[in-house]
Amino acid sequence: MKTTKTIFQDGNHKWVAIVRDPNKPGYIVDTNEYLVTHGGRGLLLDPGGAEIFPAVFSALSAEFDPSALSGIFASHQDPDICSSLALWLEFNPQMRCYVSWLWSSFIPHFGGTAETFVAIPDEGIDISLEGLSLQAVPAHFLHSSGNFHLYDKIAKILFSGDVGAALLPPSEDTLFVEDFDKHIRHAEGFHRRWMGSNEAKRRWCERVAKMEIDMLCPQHGAIYRGADVQRFINWFDELQVGIVAA
Amino acid sequence: MTDALNVVKANTARAGADLLRIVRINEEIKRVVAVSFKINIMALNAIFLAKRAGTAALGFGVLSNELRVFSQDLRSCMESLTGLIHGCVDEVSIVLKDIRFTRLLSQTNELTTSGLVLPVLEHREAQNAEHERRLASLRNQLKRALEDAFRMVELGGVLAKSAKIEAAYGQGFAPALAQVSGEFDGIVEEIRGSLESLRRSAFFSGH
Repeated sequence: MKTTKTIFQDGNHKWVAIVRDPNKPGYIVDTNEYLVTHGGRGLLLDPGGAEIFPAVFSALSAEFDPSALSGIFASHQDPDICSSLALWLEFNPQMRCYVSWLWSSFIPHFGGTAETFVAIPDEGIDISLEGLSLQAVPAHFLHSSGNFHLYDKIAKILFSGDVGAALLPPSEDTLFVEDFDKHIRHAEGFHRRWMGSNEAKRRWCERVAKMEIDMLCPQHGAIYRGADVQRFINWFDELQVGIVAA
Repeated sequence: MTDALNVVKANTARAGADLLRIVRINEEIKRVVAVSFKINIMALNAIFLAKRAGTAALGFGVLSNELRVFSQDLRSCMESLTGLIHGCVDEVSIVLKDIRFTRLLSQTNELTTSGLVLPVLEHREAQNAEHERRLASLRNQLKRALEDAFRMVELGGVLAKSAKIEAAYGQGFAPALAQVSGEFDGIVEEIRGSLESLRRSAFFSGH
């Protein structure tokens, strides 16, 4: 089973990271899911693949009533992001799924009906969670051609999808980045290969550098906090991406 | 592994095998359709041959015409079988999806102490039972349609054998008529063989 860690709390406004399942088969990539709660309702960010649904659901339900989930935010269309969608909808068919307009007719292959999907336009939207405004931030081509991150300006947390992701060895899979230089080695290959556009990367770095961010939460690997957030943005800005040797 | 997971594994294997059997049935149906088209052309040629033979082949001409009608009826019968096969593919695919979801929900239920999953799992199992019922109904419809096709082929066999007898009265055309009627008989037997193998398919017997 996965574990839950509350990474931010202010009254009923909470960010919970659902991470690290020791029983997960090694052939399935490890993912982080995040739950944002406010006013008794919840938004689940990148709920994960169908095969890890039991681990995510059981961890989440230990912390929060799953029937109070009002929606799912899918940063993009990959199977490790939201192939569990149909299973979440079994619990609450009214749940909405926020996703780039580009993928709103592709993701229904995982489940859902026409009413399920809220198509996010390229420029992004504000998503309301019981009065809390969450901002869908454009991150197109990082790595998906229709890609969004989610910013909570109150908690000062940016959920950054695959940006900032690191494929960590089991001995170094801490929740937070503890040693940036050591950690970033596990992120470099991933970013060089997965991120396809230097131009898109530059724009994203310029955009997020202007935001107040205490924590940058990727979908794989450890969370960047404090000074490591800006350190990561600078590192990413310098990195040449979209390169493959073959 | 728990008993529930063993059941899921067995169900998955059974549904997977069903899908494979359906594919084989469909291939056999396609073969019958192709052959029945051949009978249609052959019957048309036989009608012309009977016309040339004149009064000596009047009976042969009537039988050739009946064989032509038989080939057309057989094709429409096979079309309805194809429709049922597509229905079965749909249902088996749904059953396979059900099995996966049930496995994942069962695992979730085992990991969750709140009892929250149980009603969803029960709802899912009720849906699974409905899909299984629909598949069983389609399986029966397919079996009945196959029996209808078989009866039709019995009639085709009688027509082909009667054509063989009529060919003997064809005087100067007798050798040509005998050859055509022999070919009819061979093709009807080929169709009968295909339908026999479909009847024996484990999709109907379940093993």
